[in-house]
Amino acid sequence: MKDMYILGIESSCDETSVSIVKNGTEEIATIISSQIDIHKDYGGVVPEIASRHHVKNITIVLEECLQKANMTMNDIDAIAITYGPGLIGSLLIGLEAAKTLSFIYNKPLIPVHHIAGHIYANSLVKELEFPLLAVVVSGGHTELIEMKKHYSFNKLGGTLDDAVGECYDKVARVIGLEYPGGPKLDQLSNEGEDTYKLPIPLNDNSYNFSFSGLKSAVINLAHNEEQRKNELRQADLAKSFQNVIVKSITSKVRKAILERNIKHIIVAGGVAANKALRKGMEDLANELKADLSIPPIKYCTDNAAMIAAAGYYAYLDKRIGDLNLNSKSQDILQ
Amino acid sequence: MILYIDTSSRYLYSAIVNLNKIIEEIKEDDGQNLSEVALPRIASMFEKSNLKPTDIKKIIVVNGPGSFTGIRIGLTIAKVYAWSLDIPITTIYSLEAMALSGKQEKIHVPIIDARRGFVYTAIYGKENEEILKPQHIELEKLKEELKNIEEYEVITNDEFDDFKNTTNYDPNILKIVEFFKDRKEINPHAVNPEYLKLTEAEENKK
Repeated sequence: MKDMYILGIESSCDETSVSIVKNGTEEIATIISSQIDIHKDYGGVVPEIASRHHVKNITIVLEECLQKANMTMNDIDAIAITYGPGLIGSLLIGLEAAKTLSFIYNKPLIPVHHIAGHIYANSLVKELEFPLLAVVVSGGHTELIEMKKHYSFNKLGGTLDDAVGECYDKVARVIGLEYPGGPKLDQLSNEGEDTYKLPIPLNDNSYNFSFSGLKSAVINLAHNEEQRKNELRQADLAKSFQNVIVKSITSKVRKAILERNIKHIIVAGGVAANKALRKGMEDLANELKADLSIPPIKYCTDNAAMIAAAGYYAYLDKRIGDLNLNSKSQDILQ
Repeated sequence: MILYIDTSSRYLYSAIVNLNKIIEEIKEDDGQNLSEVALPRIASMFEKSNLKPTDIKKIIVVNGPGSFTGIRIGLTIAKVYAWSLDIPITTIYSLEAMALSGKQEKIHVPIIDARRGFVYTAIYGKENEEILKPQHIELEKLKEELKNIEEYEVITNDEFDDFKNTTNYDPNILKIVEFFKDRKEINPHAVNPEYLKLTEAEENKK
């Protein structure tokens, strides 16, 4: 088969990104325009503001990516687009751009689920081996997904309430860290000791997670310390909290590896950048002799390279869309 | 060959115009489906007329005010189209297009319901010259402004009981395109919506 160059577009939250990937594995060029500084002032992503920036940025990001790759639209074989899940107003900008390019250049349009993108970020680093377990951890998702072959997804379990990244940001706020607090909390924990006793959430026999109870426990703890006029030892709380999160995730991953005969574990999503979690997963993989892939930090946050990579395998699986494609704020990966 | 796109309301208004003639035209109420159907409908105009996307030499797009999401749908299509084929693009206000579609030779007052007692509006003279610039104001304030004007025609797609002489907006796309086809072109990267209103988060922060 001849080489296939896929242009990926991602705009599901607050990053406008365009990338060109060859054969689903080789990144040619990626541009990401992040709005993180804009939303910082509001303590979180404001959907309408995000949409307004996507429409401003979209053609600039497209042009910069093609220039960086030294290619034109005529060199592109197909266009992959994040159709969902995400913020609907944001998704629509990428969608309309992708549909317009597909129409003008008469190229196949490949709808990609955002989580499939996070999983396939790993294919830019290392070939996937099956059966595989994808540990998807981000601000919107906490899921264990089993894959027996390319582009086949079987959800084993997921969070019953808050996503792990969401829990991180909320706890970070309680500790007094600025949005986005997750990475700052991760760093702060290095300076602390595990001295606060927190409950291990949903310590059961399922593949599911629950983080809202842990979040409430931290909020109550901070509140009680304040009432008692005790100083809140931020770093110790960060450390204690991280340990519980990592324990909760690795215990379910351990169960999956043993029960489902998993060969290859991949960690995907923004929280894959978390150092404590990376360490916990490495220790577990070593112990159980499973292969582990954690994408470099640049592929953990939202980017279009992962969408273009996933798009290649979606294309091979004949999952091709048409101009009637619409965005979906929620959709199950299947 | 000019492509006209307006998705600033629940309606899709689009046309391919050539040498003072409409080649193909769409006027349809798409409600919440605009994001899905806008592009396939536009593509179908090309199919029917046996034209290629590259036959278009200019784009005129409505960049607001109106539905925030709606504006962005048409504008994204238009700016990506113009950028990728490197063709001229120009923007017009929805209110300008509405004023040009008045039925009577009078002062024209296009009005779009912006909810909570507010409207997007402007006032245009008989030659479509701007008397009151496009803005987001309280309906009551607009009524004050109109007290000084003897005869005028309101053009709207929304329900207002406040005005005697009201025409339902049905765009005369040929007239709009002919009127604005020589307006100064804009770099596609700089083509942006005119919301005429900050987001709620920005307003609360002020």
